[in-house]
Amino acid sequence: MAAQPMTSSMQPTDVYGGDEVSAIILDPGYSSVRAGFAGEDTPKSFVNSHYGVSSSGGSYVFGDDTIHNPLANLDIRNPMSKEGVVEDWDAATKLWEYAITSRLTSFKQADPRTNGLNDDMKDADIEMEGVEEGEKPLEEHPLLMTETAWNNPKLREKSIEVAMESWGCPAFWLARNSVLASFGAGKATALVVDVGASTTSVICIHDGLILKKSVQKSPLAGNWLSSQLRSLFSTTDPKVELVPHFMIASKTPVDAGASAQATYRKFEDTPSASFRALEEERVLTEFKESVVQVWQDHRGLKAGTEYARQQPGRVFEMPDGSNQLWGVERYNVAEGMWDSSSALPVPNESAPSKGQTIPEMVKASLAGVDIDIRAHVLQNIVVTGGGTLVSGFTDRLHNELTAMYPGARIKIQAAGLTAERRFGSWIGGSILGSLGTFHQMWISKKEYEEFGTSIIEKRCK
Amino acid sequence: MSSHDVRDMLDLPGTAGPRPAKKQKIAAPKSTLKGLAREVQSLAGDNPISIVPEISSFKKRRLASRKPAARWVLKPFKNPARGDDLVLAHWRRKAEAPPAPVGEDGNSEQVEAQPEPEIENSTFAKFNVKVDIPEYTDLQYSLKLEGEGWTKDETDYLMGLVKDFDLRWPLIWDRYDYEPLASGENGDSLVSVTQPRSMEDLKVRYYFIADQMLQLHTPLKDMRKTEHDLHEIFEKFDPNQEALRKKFAETALNRTKEEAREEESLLLELKRILARSEKLSEERKELYARLEAPPSNGNIGIYTSSQGLQQLLQQLMTLNNSKKRRSLMGAENMSPASGPSGLQQQGSFDRRDSTMRESISGPSGPSRKGTLQGPPERRELTKEEEKMYGVSQPTEKLSGPSFRADRLNKPITNKSATMQAKITNVLGELGVPSRLIMPTAAVGQEWESLLGNIQKLLELKKNAEKLDGEIAIAMTLKAEREKRERAARGEPDPEDDDHDVKRESDREKSVSRSVRGGSVSRSARGGSTRKRSASVLSAMSDKSTKRQKK
Repeated sequence: MAAQPMTSSMQPTDVYGGDEVSAIILDPGYSSVRAGFAGEDTPKSFVNSHYGVSSSGGSYVFGDDTIHNPLANLDIRNPMSKEGVVEDWDAATKLWEYAITSRLTSFKQADPRTNGLNDDMKDADIEMEGVEEGEKPLEEHPLLMTETAWNNPKLREKSIEVAMESWGCPAFWLARNSVLASFGAGKATALVVDVGASTTSVICIHDGLILKKSVQKSPLAGNWLSSQLRSLFSTTDPKVELVPHFMIASKTPVDAGASAQATYRKFEDTPSASFRALEEERVLTEFKESVVQVWQDHRGLKAGTEYARQQPGRVFEMPDGSNQLWGVERYNVAEGMWDSSSALPVPNESAPSKGQTIPEMVKASLAGVDIDIRAHVLQNIVVTGGGTLVSGFTDRLHNELTAMYPGARIKIQAAGLTAERRFGSWIGGSILGSLGTFHQMWISKKEYEEFGTSIIEKRCK
Repeated sequence: MSSHDVRDMLDLPGTAGPRPAKKQKIAAPKSTLKGLAREVQSLAGDNPISIVPEISSFKKRRLASRKPAARWVLKPFKNPARGDDLVLAHWRRKAEAPPAPVGEDGNSEQVEAQPEPEIENSTFAKFNVKVDIPEYTDLQYSLKLEGEGWTKDETDYLMGLVKDFDLRWPLIWDRYDYEPLASGENGDSLVSVTQPRSMEDLKVRYYFIADQMLQLHTPLKDMRKTEHDLHEIFEKFDPNQEALRKKFAETALNRTKEEAREEESLLLELKRILARSEKLSEERKELYARLEAPPSNGNIGIYTSSQGLQQLLQQLMTLNNSKKRRSLMGAENMSPASGPSGLQQQGSFDRRDSTMRESISGPSGPSRKGTLQGPPERRELTKEEEKMYGVSQPTEKLSGPSFRADRLNKPITNKSATMQAKITNVLGELGVPSRLIMPTAAVGQEWESLLGNIQKLLELKKNAEKLDGEIAIAMTLKAEREKRERAARGEPDPEDDDHDVKRESDREKSVSRSVRGGSVSRSARGGSTRKRSASVLSAMSDKSTKRQKK
């Protein structure tokens, strides 16, 4: 009733501090690229970071609509490295461009009287096309891009170059995703625990800037969980076959534990291994979302195995119809994030070290900051990233930290909504980009032209 | 409760006439209330229901308030806080200009095509605040700012960081990565600090420079207060103490669970002790207030030390002893039961004080209550004051409850009916109303004494009457005897009629309280009959005592 729309004259600009300049926030990650307009609550454009390259023509396909087609010569790649930084700039630029133009700026709605669409004249149409060809996608939109805290200065310079040169942004800013995640949680000073797909990071933020000595990262993140799952599937007594959906032509329901009765699709040219890996990953993601759970007690799963056995199991049905009750094993998968000795052995990969577990990372991160802000930071722990959505994650984190720092007050700030957790850093960017006080921060095109790419190191600290 | 009941209570004439009409009135709007269940309406009874269903007419309102859609324009603006003239654009509501003629395309296009005459400034530019960082020249540096272990290059680097991070020391310390040879490549060397400097080192250096520059700018004697304060802060910074503090804080953070628990319990104990001492000091304060009248909110500092406490205790002991003795000596020292009206101000102050204290004390309130709400502080009244304030201390116990008003009437009402009549007669003669108009204490006392006197008077009257009657009988007996004697002697009876008349007059005289001495002569005359002599004698003695009393 009371929430009447405010007119612009009533809007409390001084309090809310918003002044939107239709900036675009681009938050690239290992698993997905998030892009959208500043001031919105979720990214409008959510694109899988994996892209397809047809091995014959070398043309790229982007987006979930195309990359999941089981084509014979489609190679799936990812422009990001295992550390969450850009490896393949060519592909990354195209991918991001796709993320922006597919949903945000591709169709520029001009005045219908002048856009020529209503005119009959053929030559005018051609002229318009010519104009659009030469247009850069972001000429009207300042771009706020995110990066990891351990991003290489050269890569940072590259990103401003891309934004300014190939996209023609009027203004650009490069922000750390952990800082933005803490902004998204409403904190300027925080300890950000970010569990993504490729990396888990623990970083202290002071007054909106990262403390470089506190940066801790480890590969024990979403992809590592998948590798744990694969290891689990291969070691269970009747081996669990991981067959992705695209392989199944039809299936019949079977009892739990029984072998699958499904007819598989035959391909003249079998899709590439990378494609299969991508599709398998989708099944594993589903498994992680619905079955995997974090054992909540800080003493670890080893101490509570008996109790864990009594917990009700969860059933998961594979794409081929075989299903199974997962009991204590589902706790095993994520236990390695907390206790490195409990990690399942993964072939061709070294076992995680103790320092890579989350509690140790928090400890190391805190040791890297001034003592005066440690207590403050412990009261503002921001949990973000899709990897933290594993059931029981925040409880375990809280239990671990209270056991580790019994004298300090631990307060964990974890968004309740799935979207807010997954898009934490994008949302923070959306907030930052829509602030009126942020206008003076942008690196303008003029400044870029004056100082060159090195300005990014000078300005975005 | 209906209006009838109210009328009954207020003794108003029961107006039965207008009521049915009223009912009809109430019933009329009732039927118009729609959208409510009958049961809900009947809940309200006679009274008209107060919930008025909202009339929802969405369409109408929308149509009524329909205005032409607001026009928004993409307005470019610039931020003067920026060094360059970056022009960004935001959507703003179009100013209420005279509406452009709609319909003719060319016309409106022209209006829009007009270039903006000026680009407005952002309202947020004012928030771009920078910290003032002292700046120095090479000469100044070499003269004043040389410090051991610091090169000018490194100092410059520090000042740059301080400026960049607006004096946020955790950040400055975090990013402090000075490389003497200026190799530039610091991307890979996030952790490799060539010469680790603690935050204290950096602070000391900066404060030294800031202080020196401040003094250079304004000599110490010319400093204003704020500047002087700043100077003192700079000067007083002790890196060793700061380091110690941090070390302590670190150990505090890294406590084990047991240590934390122990500390918690110790803190709890401390809190308890503090609360107890606070309670004690409060009690002490109260005692102090009780000792001193009027109570002063004086300093109780002298009693906070154990020595002072001892002193106070002794003082109290002596006081207590003397008090005990006094209370044994007499009941007049007993404290009055009800709060004296003259001290009400103080009393209310005390009460407020105590409630305030209780509300502050929180959970430990109930335990304190007992001690705090003991005997309230009271001042002993002197006799004069008691009289002044009308304070009395009834010593005799009354059996059972009674009205105070009864105490005025009781002397009259507990007498027999004839007595009452007599008393009222006397009061009427005296012109005193039988019911006191203003029964103050003094008046009541007078009234009581008056009633006592009246009673005495009436008793005396009764006795006098009785005596008169006996005298009269004795006289008649005597007269008869004389008559007989005279008859025996053969003398005539000369005063037969006179005697009767005399007797009558005697009675009248006695009623009018003029007893005169005649009775004595009469009794002297009537001493002959032996039978009655005793009663006569007793009556006579009664009379004599009465007379003596009078």
